[in-house]
Amino acid sequence: MATFNSSEWRSVCDKFRRAQNLSEIESRKDPENDPFRSKYNARELLKEIYSDLKNFDTGENDDNESDQPISEQLPDRAEGECSGNRYAGDSPAGLRSAKLGVIEYYLGVNHVETEELSAGEEHLMNCIKLLDKCNISQENVSVFIQARNQLGILWASRDEIEKAQGFLESAESMYVWYMKEVGQPPMDLTDLFLAEEEALSQQERTKRFEMAYTHTLYYLAQVYKNLEQYEKAGRYCHSTLQRQLQFNQFVPLEWAINAATLSQYYITKSRYMEGRHCLAAATVIAGLAGEVPSEAAAQENEAECEKREQLRQKRAEIARCWIKYCLNLLQDAKKLLEDNIGELDTDRQAELKRARQQEEEEKERGRKSAVLFGSSDTFDSICSLEEKVSCAFPLDFDEARAVFLSGQVYVTQAKEYFEMDGHVTDHIEILQDHSALFKALSFFEEDLERRCKMHKRRVDMLEPLCRDLNAQYYLLICRQLQFELAETYYEMMDLKLAIADKQDELDAHTVKKFNHLCTASMKYYQMFLDSIRSPEGKFPEKLEDEVLRPALVAKFRMARLHSRLISPSPATQLENLSNSLCCYNFLVQYCEENPEARPAVETELELSEEMVSLLPLKINRLKAKLASSN
Amino acid sequence: MSKSRTSETVKVVVRCRPMNEKEKAANFRRVVSVDVKLGQVVVRNPRGATQELPKVFTFDSVYDWDSKQLELYDESFRPLVDSVLMGFNGTIFAYGQTGTGKTYTMEGVRNDPEKQGVIPNSFEHIFTHISRSQNQQYLVRASYLEIYQEEIRDLLFKDQSRRLELKERPDTGVYVKDLSSFVTKSVTEIEHVMSVGNQNRSVGATNMNEHSSRSHAIFVITVECSELGPDGQNHIRVGKLNLVDLAGSERQSKTGAQGERLKEATKINLSLSALGNVISALVDGRSAHVPYRDSKLTRLLQDSLGGNARTVMVANIGPASYNVEETLTTLRYSNRAKNIRNKPRINEDPKDALLREFQEEIARLKEQLARRSGTVQKRSRRKAGMGQSLGDGGAGLEEEELEEEEEQEEEEQVVEEGSAGGDSQYWRQQQEQLERERRAIMEDRSLVAEEKQRLLGEKERRMEELQREQEAGRCWRPKSG
Repeated sequence: MATFNSSEWRSVCDKFRRAQNLSEIESRKDPENDPFRSKYNARELLKEIYSDLKNFDTGENDDNESDQPISEQLPDRAEGECSGNRYAGDSPAGLRSAKLGVIEYYLGVNHVETEELSAGEEHLMNCIKLLDKCNISQENVSVFIQARNQLGILWASRDEIEKAQGFLESAESMYVWYMKEVGQPPMDLTDLFLAEEEALSQQERTKRFEMAYTHTLYYLAQVYKNLEQYEKAGRYCHSTLQRQLQFNQFVPLEWAINAATLSQYYITKSRYMEGRHCLAAATVIAGLAGEVPSEAAAQENEAECEKREQLRQKRAEIARCWIKYCLNLLQDAKKLLEDNIGELDTDRQAELKRARQQEEEEKERGRKSAVLFGSSDTFDSICSLEEKVSCAFPLDFDEARAVFLSGQVYVTQAKEYFEMDGHVTDHIEILQDHSALFKALSFFEEDLERRCKMHKRRVDMLEPLCRDLNAQYYLLICRQLQFELAETYYEMMDLKLAIADKQDELDAHTVKKFNHLCTASMKYYQMFLDSIRSPEGKFPEKLEDEVLRPALVAKFRMARLHSRLISPSPATQLENLSNSLCCYNFLVQYCEENPEARPAVETELELSEEMVSLLPLKINRLKAKLASSN
Repeated sequence: MSKSRTSETVKVVVRCRPMNEKEKAANFRRVVSVDVKLGQVVVRNPRGATQELPKVFTFDSVYDWDSKQLELYDESFRPLVDSVLMGFNGTIFAYGQTGTGKTYTMEGVRNDPEKQGVIPNSFEHIFTHISRSQNQQYLVRASYLEIYQEEIRDLLFKDQSRRLELKERPDTGVYVKDLSSFVTKSVTEIEHVMSVGNQNRSVGATNMNEHSSRSHAIFVITVECSELGPDGQNHIRVGKLNLVDLAGSERQSKTGAQGERLKEATKINLSLSALGNVISALVDGRSAHVPYRDSKLTRLLQDSLGGNARTVMVANIGPASYNVEETLTTLRYSNRAKNIRNKPRINEDPKDALLREFQEEIARLKEQLARRSGTVQKRSRRKAGMGQSLGDGGAGLEEEELEEEEEQEEEEQVVEEGSAGGDSQYWRQQQEQLERERRAIMEDRSLVAEEKQRLLGEKERRMEELQREQEAGRCWRPKSG
């Protein structure tokens, strides 16, 4: 058995170093007409190393390379680790396999990078076969995992996502097994080709190994996303973030934005505990990016200016994610608590309060340990930030108000950066959220007068926007605002009526107020409908999908509003009823002419059809009355 | 004639160039066929299995290798430029891999009126319109910018290293802060502006081919028209035409060597810097905030992609077998192009209470209707039995009232019947019924106070009457009993 002498080995190591250099550094300078020049040169060197290794270091089992198919059932293998027939990872044969495996690995990556996927796959599979002859050990576990990472990427690019999943999951379970059974910082791929004096530090080895595994999880996150297993994908994104923090491999602002974005995934799944944790971590980690440079500093120095912009923007983005957290929490609580007509169901409220005391605490403690972002120096600040807002559904006004107030603090923060001047769209989105916060809170308010005032706040917030925005440039936002204003006035009108009912008499002032609210609501519905008209002012014969339901609903509500206007004059009453009938007719006729619209407005249509058949009766009676009184 | 759906504000048109000499010489097969009438492009995959069906794509209009420049302009672009002259926004996107005729479509052959492309045609269109107009004053301004790796560069500014920012204003929408613009008074002037920009575009780029295939260039023409209105005031309309040269559909790989067929969606992104994209993809944006990831291009054109703004997307493809992959990519992209339009999300509040209110109202109206038809029957029955109650002096008077106040008819009738029956349980029922009605009036929200009062007064009066009648009944009872 021939072995390397030190100078021969030195030359192998040197080739390896040159190959690395060509592949990683030189390749970036390659000309466009020969884009893979350095990669090809690196490949030649790797091939030389491979045959050097083969020639010099012939092991006894060398000719025994049977081509048994490899099954990717790693857990089995991991358990059967002690079954004989395999070389120990640190035996000469084991080391030889590891070295050849590393070269096969780099050849595989090289081929993939030069768009020769099939050849790349072959080399990577060779790598896996070589390692399969060895027990997993410090020497080869890194190659083992990285080869599978690469095969995962390769199969994903061929659209064979399940195959990719198989390789990546086996890398994952190998990591878990290794950390449990061995735990020593393993050698890096390059370690096998470094002279002893150049050996990597333990710390560096750990860092590289953990980084490779972080990538495994990151790739799995993408695989699960592509398989539409979003729950799993979310979990793996979460783990990726956790590990970036744990091994200090992150850029604060980028990490913070990612965590904040992940919180948005959680809140849409009603997992508020996790969502809050992500947000608190995002806020704290964003703080690590440093102080916001002052305006004066920014004016003097371009770098400071850029930094100021970045910090302010990202922090405002995180604030916006917090707003959504508060808003969704309130809205979800409302959904839980409302009865079939959208009012607070007190039985349900009492029931939920009882249930909360019993279960929640224990359950969440268990869930929480799995998702914590652990970094010793930031942990306390994250926890104290979390305590500022609840992650349980608010069940009464006081609890709801606490969530609302937190949300409102973030609204103020977000608006500081996203000012109207310069950030119109963002600014308005924030105000729309603010309005929605008021609306959600109003559900919990029992006092009707105060509830009405909350809606008035919404109107005060949105009305100026609607007035100042140029609809030519912000048509879509204008429509949203018009619709929301119409609905808000409608809501206020309903509340005023409920209040008046309690007073059991409608005085002239209340009637006036009531009519004003009706009219305002109609005005905004009409503005919305007018926005759909063509440049020539014609209402479209066929509504486009995205405005179909809103437009028909607007007509329906207007029909209702017309008939609710209060007037002592029968003539006016008659006019209002005719207008109302006209709107109902519009809806019915539209659906007759465009039957495909029916499913979008089923209930409204059914009611409109009834009204169209019944209203004329009322109108005729009124006419008769009018005629007889004349 | 190509089929065109005028109602759409985003139109996608596809043009296929002829086989060129090189392709013919190399004996490449033509794998694309174009059905102008149906608006369809059919692609056969030369490497696919024989039984593989050809892929069919349908667009608003399609143009084959025989199509004329002017025909393309008149059908697909003239209406858009007309709307710009009327004061609306319009955007033309040109898309397609290098070598598919994008430049020919957009620019065409200089100084050959028959072969000039969309850009010179639109310039001519605008200035011809202006020269023919009367009583209107026009101001035409041009800007030219480039977006490369999410940075905006002013192609008409001396210092090409300056980067610009996107801003928004409530009154004028999205704009590029400090972007220079030049007033142009003729086709020659505006062409000059464009060629200056084109020069800057190539000078600033270190590697022209790669650069142009990855950067978007946007030439913006702002047309302001001032007209004296009938009110004696000057009215100003502002229309904007964006000519967008979209980054090419070239494969992102460096060589363009034919690898395996790739599908973007399942590719794994290697760099952790894209973790944010993975996370964003998990978030359903409806009720959540996804920190800003919209591209500069999308933001810049946001007000041109919705509402009354018109958009034409013109994709260019080559016919030969060897670039079938690119052709398919381009066609798929174009197929999705309609979605570039901003969708207005109108979050409507589900009004369950409203629906209940309706059901009540309808029930009430139906009841009235039923009562009315019921009344008719009863009335005729009563007329038949009129003789019996002739002795009751009040009957005739009440009959007249009934015509007006149908709602009260029922109990009146029963009163009559009851007065004949004279039973104490009957009186209690009557009182209860009146009380119910009184409450109904109190609760009816749709009544004005005065009317309510009047009706209540009426009920009150009837209750008193009932009382009196009851007392009277007691007196009668010995007689009748």
